[in-house]
Amino acid sequence: MKRKKLVALALVGVMALSLAACGNKEEKSSTKSETKTEGTTAKAEDGYLIKASNQDAKSKDNDLVIAIEGSVSSLDPANIPDTNAISATRGIYDTLVKFNRDLELEGSLAEKWEISDDSLTYTFHLRKDVKFHDGTDFNAQAIVSNYERIIDKENNLRQRRTYIVTNADGSEKNRIESIETPDDYTVVYKLTEAWAPFINRLTQFCVISPKALEEHGNAIMNNPVGTGAFKFQEWEEGDHTTMVKNEDYWGEVPSVDSVTIREVPEAGSRTAMLQTGEADFIYPIPSDQIAAVEGSDDINVHIDDSNIMRYVTLNMNLPELSDVKVRQAMNYAIDKEAYVQVMYNGNAKVATSLVPSIIHGYQEQEAYTYDLEKAKELMKEAGYEDGFKLTLWGDNTSQEIKGMTFVKQQLEQINIDVEVLPMEPATVSDKIYVDKDEAEINMWYVNWSASDFTMDGSLRSLLYSTMVPPTSANTAYYENPEFDALLDDGLHTADESEQKDYYAKAQKMAWEAAPWLFLGNDEVLYSTKSYVSDVYVLPDGAFTFSEAKLAQ
Amino acid sequence: MGRYVAKRVVSTLPLIFVISFLIFMFMHLIPGDPARMIAGQDATKEDVAVVREQLGLDKPVLTQYKDYMKGIFSGDMGMSIKNNKTVAETIVPRFGPTILLTLSSITWAALFGIGLGIISAVFRGKPLDYLGMIIAISGISIPGFWLGLEMIQIFSVHLGLLPTAGLDSWRSYILPSLTMGAGIMAVLARFTRSSMLGSLRDDYVRTARAKGQTEGKVIMKHAFKNSSIEIITIIGLQIGGLLSGSVLAETVFSIPGLGRLLVDSINFRDYKVVQALLLFFALEYIIINLVVDVLYGFINPRVRYE
Repeated sequence: MKRKKLVALALVGVMALSLAACGNKEEKSSTKSETKTEGTTAKAEDGYLIKASNQDAKSKDNDLVIAIEGSVSSLDPANIPDTNAISATRGIYDTLVKFNRDLELEGSLAEKWEISDDSLTYTFHLRKDVKFHDGTDFNAQAIVSNYERIIDKENNLRQRRTYIVTNADGSEKNRIESIETPDDYTVVYKLTEAWAPFINRLTQFCVISPKALEEHGNAIMNNPVGTGAFKFQEWEEGDHTTMVKNEDYWGEVPSVDSVTIREVPEAGSRTAMLQTGEADFIYPIPSDQIAAVEGSDDINVHIDDSNIMRYVTLNMNLPELSDVKVRQAMNYAIDKEAYVQVMYNGNAKVATSLVPSIIHGYQEQEAYTYDLEKAKELMKEAGYEDGFKLTLWGDNTSQEIKGMTFVKQQLEQINIDVEVLPMEPATVSDKIYVDKDEAEINMWYVNWSASDFTMDGSLRSLLYSTMVPPTSANTAYYENPEFDALLDDGLHTADESEQKDYYAKAQKMAWEAAPWLFLGNDEVLYSTKSYVSDVYVLPDGAFTFSEAKLAQ
Repeated sequence: MGRYVAKRVVSTLPLIFVISFLIFMFMHLIPGDPARMIAGQDATKEDVAVVREQLGLDKPVLTQYKDYMKGIFSGDMGMSIKNNKTVAETIVPRFGPTILLTLSSITWAALFGIGLGIISAVFRGKPLDYLGMIIAISGISIPGFWLGLEMIQIFSVHLGLLPTAGLDSWRSYILPSLTMGAGIMAVLARFTRSSMLGSLRDDYVRTARAKGQTEGKVIMKHAFKNSSIEIITIIGLQIGGLLSGSVLAETVFSIPGLGRLLVDSINFRDYKVVQALLLFFALEYIIINLVVDVLYGFINPRVRYE
């Protein structure tokens, strides 16, 4: 008798649970229909993918919580392994110059600067009202100390390679000849040869307090002291980074009291945190999570350009791929619109040049519009009407495999039989960086993002003649002296219109030669509570929060 | 008893040497060049060579192994190549969350699993048995990943009772422990049931009943004590698994534990961290087996005299 009662109780419990689940579902669908009338679900012009119906929502506190996918794996700005670490350090540190939201350079610790006509001398005039978080004064000597720390080989810092070039014989050449301080608030850099990306690279040069550097050495990573809008409070690797507002900031004092960056690798959990309000801002929000937040009235989803270029390299040393007609035919045979739809639910753009549109010097090219007739015609002219076999390498994540399979299906239409070979990323690297006569590569499904937004940073490693493996990543084995010369000319001038000219020619040349299958450009997707403003993601995936506001 | 323990400890020493050698060799045999990973895809061949030299990867493998063993015995496991932290600095903070989660998961899983198993065995073939086994089979069959995300939806998003991520208070441990323990609870329930069914049919149980022992004593003191050796073995193995970190639960609940650290380090070819973690996991299993062996000795005196 007793037992029967227990079973009955358990059954009642199960039923109650399932009823509760039903109730939730109903609730969800009703809010969804509401927002469809009030909210905007279509892709809006102003960067909103979804605009919350309730734009007057209030935050319950003044502490900004950002949930990110990856990890902040260092707080030493000179030794940064990932973009999230860049974002975090930018809260604590300032740079001489920085990119604003429109990717234009503007002064930060430098009030203004001049570049000499021969593009060799850069003079920066520094702000005079700046103090480090430890109370010491910021001045020209701080720039010198930081620079010397970076190029000191003993310190073994990643940023050293920005300035030091290793020659083939192992010797080293410094891109900077000298750095001088005529007075306390002027810094003069002299370059050994003209190097146009220099000023862009300075957006990655964070200034650390020399006193703190002396005290902590490379352990500065655990004790960051900068001049930035936020002071460091706590960093637990793999979990969170916290900083609090710097009341004495030289610029506009932050509106929020603190910023916490939480590492939340699982997309579903990140979305849940935004729904519960445990996070105010999440990045990225994958396309498949968007439906989950559509029903909420106080969640915005934003979409913006990124610097990620998706493409497939074609090894031009292979007899079949050495013919430009074949390479063009392959480009015509790929439905890029479908690619963007299949891979990103439409939240990406079709590639329109070798680089995404936000790269400096970008020039739109004449599209390889999806045209099977034309593709087949070109294959016939090249004598490959019956096609041939190729392998396609790429990383073994589900997203990459999906992309490779898409390319395979498309190329089948012109009788090219593609074997998709997904591999672990480190294995791909191993197989790619081999001597030329050992190269087995046919095609590589890959992506590239130039963190300095320069054309040189986008193309040199990938298409310059001397950059073929094992030296670097020119796996198309595109070797064109004319193209090289254009890149060199662009690199050696600081004159913008002249540079634009060189880069326009270079893009056209390589676009027509089609060493790659040009696929698409990602867009960054992030989501916020509607009471958050002025937190956003730059095209390189770095998020910016210095001016964040939480409506109270 | 002391001699028995000492013998067991000494016999594990050669094992540690063999394991450390295997781990070291495996790390050097899997494809993927750490120097290239650090230098970056756009680094030139020369840059990669510089990094390789800095890491000591240009030395002969056996020299590297010697350095590595020297490091282990002097307590210096080297530097993480991701940032300038030492391996110890990288790994030690990850222990806390993993150990606490292991304890909380195994505690509820053992209590519920064993309880469910005993009840099912005692009420064999009755509705309670079926209910218990339905729970157990669900625990095994429901993927942890899905269970975790569903619980977040129910308890965090809809009911607003528990946090979704991190380990800020005791409340943060509830959902991850439930997720991590579900499978273990199920295994223990099934195992306890079948083991108890065997014991309950044995002659000594019939004897105990015949001499008028209460049913409770018969079940717990006679039948269960006999089954407990097997149950302890299972619990030991499960603790070993939990202490190596649960990648799934740590990912779903954003917990900075050992499992995620291992996966991240493998992807980054941060081989010194990987070596240290693997060595630690191996040690952990050795120690747990040792403890389980010693516990056998307590429960079953015959083991001590063999």
